[in-house]
Amino acid sequence: MTMQIETDRVASEVLTPVRVVDCDVHPTSRVGELDEYFPDPFRKTFAARAVGSGSPVYYDAPDYANAMAMRTDSFPDDGNFAGSDPDLTFRQLIMEAGSDIAILGPLAGPAAQTPEEAHAVAFAINRWQEVHWLDSRNNWHKRFRGSIVAAMSAPEAAAREIETWAGHEYYSQVLIDAEGRPSWGDPQYDPIWEAASRHDIPVACHLGRGNHNELPMSPVGFMTYNHDLMVTYSMLAANQVMSLVFDGVFDRFPKLQIILIEHAFSWILPLMWRMDKIYELRGNELGLRRKPSEYVKDHIWFTTQPLDYPEDKLELTNALEWMEADRLLLFSSDYPHWTFDDPQWVAKHMPEPMRDKIMFGNGINLFHLPSEVPALHGQRLVR
Amino acid sequence: MSLGEIRKTGPSSQPRLARGRDHVVAQVGEIASGDSKIVPIGRHGVGVYNVDGKFYAIANYCPHEGGPLCLGRTHGQTVTDEDSPGGAAEVRQGEFIYCPWHQWGFELATGTTAVKPEWSIRTYPVRVDGNDVIVTA
Amino acid sequence: MTGTESLKIDSSVHAYFRSDADLRTYLRAPFKSRGFPDPDVSWFSPEGPKYATGAENADGSHPGSDPEKVGADIFGEGGLDFAVVHPMTGAAILPDWHLGTAILSGTNQMLAERWLEQGTYADRFRGTIRVHPTDIDGAVAEIARWKNHPKMVQIGLPTQTQVPYGRPQFRPLWRAAVEAGLPVAIHLEKGLGVTHPPTPSGITRTYSHHAAYQGMTYIWHLMNMIAEGVFAEFSDLKVIFGDGAADILTPFIWRMDTFGRPHLEQTPWAPLIPSDYLAGHVYFVNSALDGPPIDADFASEWLRMTGKEDMLLFGSSYPEWQLSTPADLPAGWSDEQRTKVLGANAARLFGLFTPALV
Repeated sequence: MTMQIETDRVASEVLTPVRVVDCDVHPTSRVGELDEYFPDPFRKTFAARAVGSGSPVYYDAPDYANAMAMRTDSFPDDGNFAGSDPDLTFRQLIMEAGSDIAILGPLAGPAAQTPEEAHAVAFAINRWQEVHWLDSRNNWHKRFRGSIVAAMSAPEAAAREIETWAGHEYYSQVLIDAEGRPSWGDPQYDPIWEAASRHDIPVACHLGRGNHNELPMSPVGFMTYNHDLMVTYSMLAANQVMSLVFDGVFDRFPKLQIILIEHAFSWILPLMWRMDKIYELRGNELGLRRKPSEYVKDHIWFTTQPLDYPEDKLELTNALEWMEADRLLLFSSDYPHWTFDDPQWVAKHMPEPMRDKIMFGNGINLFHLPSEVPALHGQRLVR
Repeated sequence: MSLGEIRKTGPSSQPRLARGRDHVVAQVGEIASGDSKIVPIGRHGVGVYNVDGKFYAIANYCPHEGGPLCLGRTHGQTVTDEDSPGGAAEVRQGEFIYCPWHQWGFELATGTTAVKPEWSIRTYPVRVDGNDVIVTA
Repeated sequence: MTGTESLKIDSSVHAYFRSDADLRTYLRAPFKSRGFPDPDVSWFSPEGPKYATGAENADGSHPGSDPEKVGADIFGEGGLDFAVVHPMTGAAILPDWHLGTAILSGTNQMLAERWLEQGTYADRFRGTIRVHPTDIDGAVAEIARWKNHPKMVQIGLPTQTQVPYGRPQFRPLWRAAVEAGLPVAIHLEKGLGVTHPPTPSGITRTYSHHAAYQGMTYIWHLMNMIAEGVFAEFSDLKVIFGDGAADILTPFIWRMDTFGRPHLEQTPWAPLIPSDYLAGHVYFVNSALDGPPIDADFASEWLRMTGKEDMLLFGSSYPEWQLSTPADLPAGWSDEQRTKVLGANAARLFGLFTPALV
């Protein structure tokens, strides 16, 4: 069921102001689509492992066997997975939900067992995006931007990928994960921070799952269900924030910008207090140039999805004001996952003076996006 | 029908049924037990459900974030069951509709949820008259 | 309850043995000659004093080992009415839980003899029954041994476990606690033992990061206990998280409510919205690292949110280097909130009344 606008595939000459920058959208590959992009010998390795292999899921989202942790209305008709069809994503997210620019964060590819494999997957996804999502046919509307996937376990190779894609018009961020050890303050990751900050590209981290001690595993053992796991998952992000601050990463790389995607955000308010308190009590024995909370407000961003809230929404409004949320937040939907947040719904939960910055202003500045894009007749207008 | 299709067919191509009166939404037998049909009543449509021969009608709009409630799946409710391995069982099969977005569940008969009764969605009276299934909306 | 409103209670004073040799006098053979860590080790120790200035003992014995000095500092200078004493050890994270139980039992004996049954301040100190989480049978026996002691007011468990406290193996512990009518205090264990790394990313590079992060570890236990239905099954169970960080409860329970709601179908043994399990079940001792900043004008509202003002118990953590005093608490709290945190919450929880006039 295509719309006339898709059949024409011509971007309008008329420009419209960007009102929603959606910082978390998940394209995935169609069956077999990624294979040709894996370098040798990994293509054979991944294919051989996949023979006869079934679902690896544990910690399952509600009704997983039917919904597969997705919005059940986001599966295309051709039998491929949710998020595999650029046209359906355009229709549901851009036209119906009203996101103006979507920053794509691919979560595709097989699980990597070695750093070399992790880099091979990143290498493949970066090339696949260019052909299947960001080319002039699939991105005719100029609303998609992509990510330079960077393998944290192979920092030198990852830095080379950043060099390769940094100048590309449609690649707006570096994309890493957080489950590996040690935490981000370790100097082994410096090549990635260096390359990204030299090219003035933010580094985004999306939550994922490893195995064993990289699930992530808590200090008190494994959680039991999907919800105690995913709720406490934010403690991994909290640890990475503390490592970035206390291990001096922002003193080494003053231009670095970090985005934490889908890790929730209201925890950063008490965490800033906590970091400032230990800094005060220990008398800055680490030689930091600034207070911890200042590093957070100047260098770290959080996406709004998942927007968690109490019964009394005024408490959320207060918390947003106390944390100076317009200095911290970027709107995101997480389309097509089941935890999708609708942009109009999020917008009305943001205090009015902060709304424009969070919904699009911060995103335009951070990703160096245009403030106007080709208009789309019939697109939902998010206010 | 998908939500996109409902929005796409505007007043010019399919008359939107006005609210506040009886609507014949189907013939008896058209909606089998366990099945449903979405009809274009009101702004978002109404889902009409047959649960073991009894009909229910609920607004096709989730009060959480406005998702297309009736595109979701119906099933029952989970309760503890010490006699069952795993300690859980499902009761009241098919009596709840779960939103296809965040899986919020609503009782078809009342439009409410067990966990937070104040989060509810509009339901409509349904009756059978002869061969007609009639929703009052 | 008359007489409790204005009580000032220190809900967490840390007691120590005078020395390793002193501890061994409370052990019988064969445990007497076993090897086990000192509570103080260099691994992730602060550079500088481990204990607060002024808490040292003249004879060089471990700070916090002399009830006369502690009492003089807490009740005399500090002006408090009661103190709940929580002995610090490295025993509850030992791999050999037999040894762990033996040490903890000796510790409970020492606490009763030195702090609760004799001395100038015996009528003002209250005690903790320390138990090892791997030795459930031993723990239940130890609780039975001490539960009728008039001065033992809580059970003590370590934060660092191999599996979270929601798991079914801990049910006999909760049952014993509820039957004894005692809350359970969960506190970071000292020394060194078979614990997972302190963060999901392994160890930290710095002490500041480690110290500020560790106090938040309770959140994994709490979310797991809620989802596993511990508070549903044991409706009288009270748990006290003894290392502060009550602040993060607010954002995490918002998330648990919002994200957890559709998962309730997976956990019918915990059918209520998660935040409904907090009131009357969950308590916190404060810590020096807690927020908000002392001059925050929203401090009163923040404490009210999530019902924290009814959960928070002032505790000094004397004699640790990061001990807190009532003067460290946010200036913006209301008088009623201050009264609750400084003593009324603890008085109700531990069953404390105005002491007889001396």
